[in-house]
Amino acid sequence: MTGLAVDQAAWGSAWRGRSPGDKLLLCAGLVGCALLLPAWPGSVLVGLAAVALALGPARVPARTFGRAIRWPLAFIAIGALTAVVAVGDGGIGWAPDAAERAGSLVGRAVAGSAAVLLLATTTPMSDLLPELRRLRVPAAVVEVAGVTYRLVFVLLESLGTIREAQAARMGWSSPRRSYRSAGVLAAAVLTRSWDRARRMQDGLAGRGMETGLRVLPDALPSSRPFVALALALPAAITALTLVAR
Amino acid sequence: MHIAEGFLPAGHALGWTLAAAPFVAHGARAVVKEVRENPEATLLLGAAGAFTFVLSAIKLPSVTGSSSHPTGTGPGAILFRPPVMALLGTVVLLFQALLLAHGGLTTLGANAFAFAVVGPWAGYGAYRLTRAAGAGLLPAVFTGVALADLATYVTTSLQLALAFPDASTGLAGALAKFLGVFAVTQIPLAIGEGLLGVLLFRVLTVNARPELERLGVLQPAAVPATTGGAA
Repeated sequence: MTGLAVDQAAWGSAWRGRSPGDKLLLCAGLVGCALLLPAWPGSVLVGLAAVALALGPARVPARTFGRAIRWPLAFIAIGALTAVVAVGDGGIGWAPDAAERAGSLVGRAVAGSAAVLLLATTTPMSDLLPELRRLRVPAAVVEVAGVTYRLVFVLLESLGTIREAQAARMGWSSPRRSYRSAGVLAAAVLTRSWDRARRMQDGLAGRGMETGLRVLPDALPSSRPFVALALALPAAITALTLVAR
Repeated sequence: MHIAEGFLPAGHALGWTLAAAPFVAHGARAVVKEVRENPEATLLLGAAGAFTFVLSAIKLPSVTGSSSHPTGTGPGAILFRPPVMALLGTVVLLFQALLLAHGGLTTLGANAFAFAVVGPWAGYGAYRLTRAAGAGLLPAVFTGVALADLATYVTTSLQLALAFPDASTGLAGALAKFLGVFAVTQIPLAIGEGLLGVLLFRVLTVNARPELERLGVLQPAAVPATTGGAA
């Protein structure tokens, strides 16, 4: 599953040991450039920078990055085409500036998606969640999100196992059987999630959990050269775009 | 149908984030209060969030011959109520953006407004109205889950139409375009997820009745009156 592949890429990335705040700064700068600068050449530069950083210094597998970026591409293509089709009395046709608008829309969205994917494939969620505390998100909410992240993988494994067992019993051999199997599968996953939560609660209560799920996050110190890159790269893209215009 | 990163203009992305913020903040306050009074709720709420995420990984057969994925917010709204789903839905959308590359960070507010606010409230409202009209649990679940999907799809289409109005027919023409294009996948998905909701709740009423009673979805079964005297 691509979700696991992105998470695995994040854990295995050469940037795993870098400060999540530094990486957030870099990706926020790139996303800001994709959103605010003219698509040509701004979005192209952002997209190239995000892909080059991911596949180069961050050492994200090209296959993982390519497979993950496919998902938003379908929405971007359909959405952009729909946006530039004109509906009038004479029927359906292209808007006067269709090619330019579609190019701009696709450019921004692909560049923005690549910048977010750079963050996703280099930073595990467990590193990002503590950053939410710095944005004044309540501790209880961050804890719920942390439990959600950890349980997602447990439940996905259960989902895969149950689905495999259902498929072996011809449970997905026709649409009618597929729906019945999907309902049983969803119910089994839900009851397992409750059961897991209850067992974890019993275990934690036995260890004296009273004030929340405190864990010691990895110390990932900020790097001045990386922060300089995070500031310089969007600035350089902005300057190049403005000069080229 | 998540709006991809960078697809909305900056002003629209900010506007939808501000529109979703009060609902998500309300959900966060509800969660903080629940966790303060009841520390074990952290784990149950985390499990609910994980279930919503995983539900979107179940493939449903589609009329087009391919497959589609449920949104998961309809059953969540019936089980855990819309305020909690506003927060959990936003957390799930954040995870989908960063684990699956579905959606984005600047479009998180717009997606949260459609998926985590409008969908759950519309679905829960339809569920409660159907129950109040005297319908049983399963017809109400179908109505609620299908309508949560449809409301999400209409809201996303409206968000796109506001961002990209048609050159000649304006907002109305753009809304018709986006509704028409995405109807091919979203209307069958709404019906499919409604059916999935019925099958899910049918199994739960048998296998997890105490949990449904605790969540207020089912009334506790009446204890049979004992006849006096020993046989």
